[in-house]
Amino acid sequence: MMKACISVSRLSHGYDSLQVINNWNIEIQQGERVVVLGPSGSGKTTFLNIISGLQKPTSGKVQVATDRIGFVFQEARLIPWCTVNENLAFAAGGQPHQELLKTLGLAGFEQYYSDELSGGMQQRVNLARALLVDPDLLILDEAFTSLDIDVKLQILHDLNRHWEERHFTLLAVTHDPKEALLLADRILILSPRPAVVRSILPNQLTERQIDAPAFIQAEAALICRLTDRN
Amino acid sequence: MIKKNRYLLSGILVLLIVWQLFTIHADQSTIFPSPAATFKELFYQLSSADIYLAALETAWKVLAALALAILIGLPVGYLIGISDKAYDAVRPIMMFIQAVPVISWLTIVIFTWGVGWKGPVFIAFLTLFPSAAFTTANGVRTIDRRLLEMAEVYRVPQGRIFQDIYLRSLPPFIITILDLSIGQAWKVILVTEYLCGGKGLGVEILMARMNIDFTATWAMTILAAGMGLITERIIKQIMKKGRRAA
Repeated sequence: MMKACISVSRLSHGYDSLQVINNWNIEIQQGERVVVLGPSGSGKTTFLNIISGLQKPTSGKVQVATDRIGFVFQEARLIPWCTVNENLAFAAGGQPHQELLKTLGLAGFEQYYSDELSGGMQQRVNLARALLVDPDLLILDEAFTSLDIDVKLQILHDLNRHWEERHFTLLAVTHDPKEALLLADRILILSPRPAVVRSILPNQLTERQIDAPAFIQAEAALICRLTDRN
Repeated sequence: MIKKNRYLLSGILVLLIVWQLFTIHADQSTIFPSPAATFKELFYQLSSADIYLAALETAWKVLAALALAILIGLPVGYLIGISDKAYDAVRPIMMFIQAVPVISWLTIVIFTWGVGWKGPVFIAFLTLFPSAAFTTANGVRTIDRRLLEMAEVYRVPQGRIFQDIYLRSLPPFIITILDLSIGQAWKVILVTEYLCGGKGLGVEILMARMNIDFTATWAMTILAAGMGLITERIIKQIMKKGRRAA
């Protein structure tokens, strides 16, 4: 029987009079890839902040079975006065990372500063930093939203390859159905305030190729679900 | 070279013309000498070794006061930057130090150390220290909180956060402190030398005034202002190179 990596029961959170998370119950198994889809203000980022320990919930119980967490932030959050190598060492200590940089297309950029890298490259470093800690839980907070589709697909492909090798638990939030289908074993759809979680399983996608007929069908079905939720 | 600095040179030219016109209009060449007379006196002074020794004496006091302000102001500023309670506790002391006029400090230092280098350096340090600490504190407060969150998620040790986020973010603050302080440091050192310094350009200005030699007074003033600008340029260049190397 698989163990739970994340277990959330009766979770609620609000800011002053605004309730963004209302009585959520979610369980995510170890090695599972779960994507949370929802509109702005539905509590996605707050949920991730609570899971990663950055925020304390107003009420409810949150159990995370590991403290080895990799977090791919929406903005790369690289230290501007540190090189790529130094940024990676800051989070992951002296872990060797040449091989990882190579697989993420960052070889040769070790001594670059963040302002010398494109947005896509910065996000790759952001991802490399998260993978380098050899996470049991990898969190992605709309990490690839601002990237061009080609760059996004390449990074998602790399990410899936890493998941195949290591089988970490993946928890991502996004509002892009395509991204959700490319990553998820299970998709959680958030309704607008007060947010309600509905869980769906993507169709059995034999291959996660955006131009495959099964993928296009699954994407259309998901978009229907999303527009339906209101 | 001339093309690159043409605006600077034209500014200096305008200043000299205004100065010359003012001298003619005032018709008080003894009190307010012309640019030509002043520069003639300056070149005469520069032919003597004494003036170089005096200039060096003032320059090292300026550098000592700046170094003290940075060495003490940075850690104090860092501490009050990361703690609101410490900021509230230290703020009144800083405000008091800032509000006390130089002349009041002079009374204390003359009775404590007499005439010499300690008084000017100490007073200049007190003048620069609050702004050095506040500049650092405000800088620390504006450090991107998202970087600290990132460090928290990755459970980065506090020592490493201090070294890589706080300490390495300091060079721009040091440059700002130097930028704000260097001119003020020269002015304060010159005034305090004038009033209680044993040696230095301030003392030379005092001697010239006592001899009712206003041309020499203005020549020393030009020299002091020029040295202030030169030290500012040198320090900024060093900081720029240091920052690139870091």
